[in-house]
Amino acid sequence: MAMELEYDRSLYGVEHLAGPFEITDEIIDRANSSTGETGAAFKSDDGAKEAGYRSRIAPPTLCCILVRQVSLPDVKVKFGRTQMHAGQRVEPKAPVYAGDRLTASSHLKDVYAKTGRSGTMVFVVWETTFTNQDGQVVAEVQESFAKRE
Amino acid sequence: MYLDMHSHSVSSDDSRATVEQYVKWIQVLRKRGHTVDGIVLTEHRKFDFDKDYSDLAGQYNVLVLKGSELDTRYGHFLVYGVTEALTQAIDFGDVHMDARALMQAARQHDAIALPAHPGRFGIGLTEYVSQGEVFDDVKIVERLNGGSRAGENERAEELCKSHNLLGVGGSDAHLTSHIATCMTDFKAAIKNENNLVDALLSKEFQPVWLENVVNGAS
Repeated sequence: MAMELEYDRSLYGVEHLAGPFEITDEIIDRANSSTGETGAAFKSDDGAKEAGYRSRIAPPTLCCILVRQVSLPDVKVKFGRTQMHAGQRVEPKAPVYAGDRLTASSHLKDVYAKTGRSGTMVFVVWETTFTNQDGQVVAEVQESFAKRE
Repeated sequence: MYLDMHSHSVSSDDSRATVEQYVKWIQVLRKRGHTVDGIVLTEHRKFDFDKDYSDLAGQYNVLVLKGSELDTRYGHFLVYGVTEALTQAIDFGDVHMDARALMQAARQHDAIALPAHPGRFGIGLTEYVSQGEVFDDVKIVERLNGGSRAGENERAEELCKSHNLLGVGGSDAHLTSHIATCMTDFKAAIKNENNLVDALLSKEFQPVWLENVVNGAS
């Protein structure tokens, strides 16, 4: 008999909005510091202009940090007792500049089971799109959470 | 010819390698003197009917075939020769499907299903065989798996010997540089998935390590 996952399927197709996120120099400094980023374009306007940008840009992984500030509803998966953060990936679409105001829109992408060395796990996958003040998509972040037996 | 029978592209949830990266890396392996003729993409719990890699395959002269790796209650199974009819008969996302039913359905639909990494601790077929489960339809297993931990390929080899099974080899690559670390040496010339099923049924193949395949000899 197939394993029928029990969770809140009504969440599919619903967008959850968050923000705005003000991209300040301080936030970029902290992102640089946390990853050891030293690229000139991420450090100053001059460095960014030299690299062909109009002004200082944020590291492409900044949205991976911002996504943690997005409040997502409980998917109510009836499986397992332990939940953990399983992974994150970002697809940068356009530069994020100091001074930008980003908004986030998240939706439930998938809930699926898989088996491996550590038994059966259920993954919940959320997809978040970050858009700047001009309506331009700057990044898409996929984040997954695993529940295990 | 030498085929990597087990690989995952970004189409699988846990792989970060693109097919383009794989076929480019194979050019590197060839420059190092290794023979790699093709790969089979065995994406997790799915079959990509909509994906067409023929342009990449032609550009880099690498045979790119498609299959699946399905979760079952008796471990993971590789499926070759997947058809629409098979995907209608079997729920590829059912992680607790009966592997015996999968193997039978596969043959009914001109495909073939065989245990992946059977020596894997905790999840491989050997675990279930040792518990007394019987799998009469298993004639071939993945004897060499590039993702195996120490001792796991040895357990697969013991299973082959004790049950008189044939073995194939696959890298189980999820990263570019892991592609083709294990392969299968087929006597037959294989051009498509149907040829691959026929070649498996012919029993004329053996698993090989990449390091032992230099200038077309193993």
